[in-house]
Order: sequence, then C-alpha cells, then structure tokens
Amino acid sequence: MKPDAPIKLISQLLDLPLLDKDDRWCGVVDDVELDGSPGKATRIKALLVGPGAYSGRMPAWMFRVVKMIAGDRMARVPVENIDRIASAVHLNCAAEELRLHRVEDRVRAWIPRRGAL
Amino acid sequence: MNPLEITLGIMTAVGGFVDISELVFAAQAGSNFGYALIWVFALGTIGMMVFGEMCGRVAAVAHQPVFNLMRHRLGLKLGLVALIASMISTLITTAAEIGGLGLVLHYLSGAPYLLMAALSVVLLGATMWVLPFKWIERSYGLLGLLMLVFAVALVAIHPPWGKLAGGFVPQVPAGLSSKELLKFGYFMVAITSAVLFPYEAYFYSSGGIEEQWGPKDLPNNRLTTTVGFALGSLLAIAILSGSAQLFKPANVGPQLPGTSALEAAIPFGRTGLLVALLGMLIAIAGAAVETCMANAYSVAQFFGWEWGRRKKPWEAPRFTLAWLIFLLLPFGIVLTGVDVMTLVEYAVLFSIIVLPLTYLPLMLLARDKNYMGKYANGWLANGLGWLFFLVVTLAAVAAIPLYLLTSGGQS
Repeated sequence: MKPDAPIKLISQLLDLPLLDKDDRWCGVVDDVELDGSPGKATRIKALLVGPGAYSGRMPAWMFRVVKMIAGDRMARVPVENIDRIASAVHLNCAAEELRLHRVEDRVRAWIPRRGAL
Repeated sequence: MNPLEITLGIMTAVGGFVDISELVFAAQAGSNFGYALIWVFALGTIGMMVFGEMCGRVAAVAHQPVFNLMRHRLGLKLGLVALIASMISTLITTAAEIGGLGLVLHYLSGAPYLLMAALSVVLLGATMWVLPFKWIERSYGLLGLLMLVFAVALVAIHPPWGKLAGGFVPQVPAGLSSKELLKFGYFMVAITSAVLFPYEAYFYSSGGIEEQWGPKDLPNNRLTTTVGFALGSLLAIAILSGSAQLFKPANVGPQLPGTSALEAAIPFGRTGLLVALLGMLIAIAGAAVETCMANAYSVAQFFGWEWGRRKKPWEAPRFTLAWLIFLLLPFGIVLTGVDVMTLVEYAVLFSIIVLPLTYLPLMLLARDKNYMGKYANGWLANGLGWLFFLVVTLAAVAAIPLYLLTSGGQS
C-alpha cells in the first residue's frame, strides 16, 4: 500500500511499528497529523512518534503518568518519508535523519562495547 | 528443509519445555491425584501447539512478533494494560525461576541459597551478554535434554502403564469431597497456566523474527510446535507419573522443587539424583533466560525500540538495558526472602489472567487474510484457536476464586 492510497486510519495505521530504510525498528505510529479543509479531501501530512503524541489518545491523568516516566518528546515523520505501509510502516530514509533514534543513541553511550560474540 | 536444523529445533523445544512451575505442579499433581491430571497437561500442550504454531507462522509471514500485534490490535490504552499485566506476571515468573536456580544450586553445593541465587543471576547475565540468540536458545535447550532422565526413571520403576494411559482421558476422580474437588479445579487451572505461560508466546514469536524466518520455515515451525512440544510435554507427564507412583502411596507431598529429583534417585541412586538436579538446573536456567528476554522483547516491541539478541548488545541499547533491568528486578524480589513456592503460585495465577489478552490479538491477526494471505488460519486452526481461547478465558475467570478458596491448593 502507498501512503496516498485510501486508508482506514485507526485499523491500518495507528500503532504500527516503523522500520527505517535499513530495516531498523525506530518507533511506533503514535498519532497522525492530517491536512485538509472543509470540502477538500483529508490527507495524512505526517506521522507523530513518541510519548508526546499520546496526549490525545489517553485520559489526562494517564498522560501525566506517562509524561513523568517517559517525558513528552515527539518526532515528526513527513508523509514523503514513507516508502510503503504493510504490517509495518517502511521509511525511505535512516532513523537518524528524522531524529527517531535520539534516545537509542543516548542509551548506547552507556553500554560497554565488548564481550559479545 | 535442512534435517539437521529441524532435529536441533525439535530437540531444543523438548529440552526447553519444562520450567519450575511445571516441575512443581507436575510433582504435586501426581502426589495429590495420581494420574488423573495427565489429561490437563495433554490438553494444555495441544493449546500450546495451536498458539505456538500461530506465533511462528505470523512471525514468518507478517514478520510481526506478538507485542507489535497486541498494540496494533488492542490500541494504546488496552495495549498498555496488557503490557503492564504481562510484565508483572513475567517478572514474578523470572523471580520464581531465579529462586528455583538458587535452591537447586544450594542442593548441589550446600552453599547459602541467596548466594547461589546471586551467582545464578551473574551467570545468566553473562550468557545473555556473550551469546547471540541462536546459541542461547540451542545451548539451554540441548543441555536441558538431561531432563530425559525423568522419562528413563519412569520406565525403570515399571509404572502401571494401563492406569497411566487412562490419565489421558478427561476425568474428575470419583469420590472427592467438595474441598478436594476445588483443589482439583485449582490444579487444572494452574497446570493450564504453567503449560501456556504467555512468555512462551512472546519468546517463540520473537525468536522467529530473530532467526529471520520466512514462509519457507513454516514446515519447520509446524514440526517444532507439534513434535517438539509433544515430546517436551511427555517429560512433564513423566514427572507427574513418577510422583503418582512413588510419592502418592508414601503420602509424600513434594513441597520443594528439589523433591522431584528423588524420582530419578530411587531407580538410579546418586548418579540419577545428580543428572536430575543438573537437568532441572539447566531447564530452570533456560526458562529464566526466556522470561527475562520475553519481558525485554515485550517492552521494546510495544514502544518500537531496536531489539533482538542476534544484534550486539550496543546495537539495541534500550533492549539491552531492559533485559538487564528485568534480570535484576526479579532478583530483588528473591532478596526479600519470599518463598519460591509462593512465587511459583503467584506466577501461574497472574499468567493465566494475562493469557486471554495475549492470545486474542494473535488469533485476530493469524486469521486476517490482509496480512497473512494464503497462510491465514484455516478452519482447523480457527476452530482450535477459539476453543482454546475459551478454555484460557474460563481458566482466567476461575483462577482467583479457586486460589482463594483452596489457599493456593493447600486445603
């Protein structure tokens, strides 16, 4: 499926995992940004990734707990960066270009690079 | 299909089937009710085959592990509830496995239990850091074949084969008092939970992705989940039957996991005891690794982190941090001094409650032709899948009342 094809947002896109061009996991579709106006077709403008995008999807108290634990950072994936949508959303660029691996890279600095086969 | 790969896969499934909960409940079921609960093990194993085959098929065709599906199918809120519930149940299970390891090492060495539990955590952590996925899975699975000593010991004590075979027929023993009936019900639920632990689905489906399965691996998946799980289940049934033959007539209640090892000691003496304890040690260690990694897989998949142990630990940093935490937290539980048997009971209780939430999204995806195409569930997989979903849902509903009414199977 291509990103400009008709799509049932809730069942087909929300909560799908994201894979970058090197097939690395780089987040989940937490929310979507739509483009459109009355009388015009509504289209997906971007995917929103990260705990900051949970705010519209859960009760306020639950979001406050999530924010306390995981923060409220959010990355934006423009629709032009979507290659195809299947059982995951495949991107046409590296996760780093969209700042999807920021936390991953921060934690990586703490992991010793030795001893593993 | 590579015959060596298939044989290794089946042997790994056999060696990795039994964990501390099955050891405990198999021995207690035999000493309390003779052969009458064998059919529950057999039924649970068929359920595990059905769901295990679906997990492997979905991993091979849709390239999706269970937790990705769970969030996509249940949505963020209900998915979070399922994640937290499964994390708690799997954490308690890991704590039970680490406690079990401490006990078995204590039996083998005489050193203090908590020191041996700490040593277990260090060794488990080291193997998970050093070895890639396939080696972890194969080494624990193949060494776990030492558990075959229980099957050999059963043959050596000449059980009444007719009675044993009769245990495969669904039954409730006649003449039980109402208290004993409730206890029988509690054991039915606990055994179902122990055989169908949710972590097994998370680990097996993630393993399929780790090994980069594709549709060509489907025959291997089917053989592993049917032949491998069936043979593995026979080991648990051998422990139950040995207990029915040796402990029930002597009114011995196997209150500690180590008691099961006596089943091999009686026919084979010191050597049998040693092999049985080593087999238990490896089987429990393998389950500890699986539970710990299953929790890390779940969290990483739910939030879309890099994950997998086919990668170096620093290539999937948040996943690595997660499994380190999920190894240390259960050790913290063990350090509080809580009894291993209590942990085992809580592990089966929490797990059965989580089971319907684990298998519903799996069922929904495995039958979805949009994702699975020609590999979607057929009528048999659908029929058996919904049947076992009903079984685990009923067991989940009955679990807490039965636990309370029987004081955890004690009354």
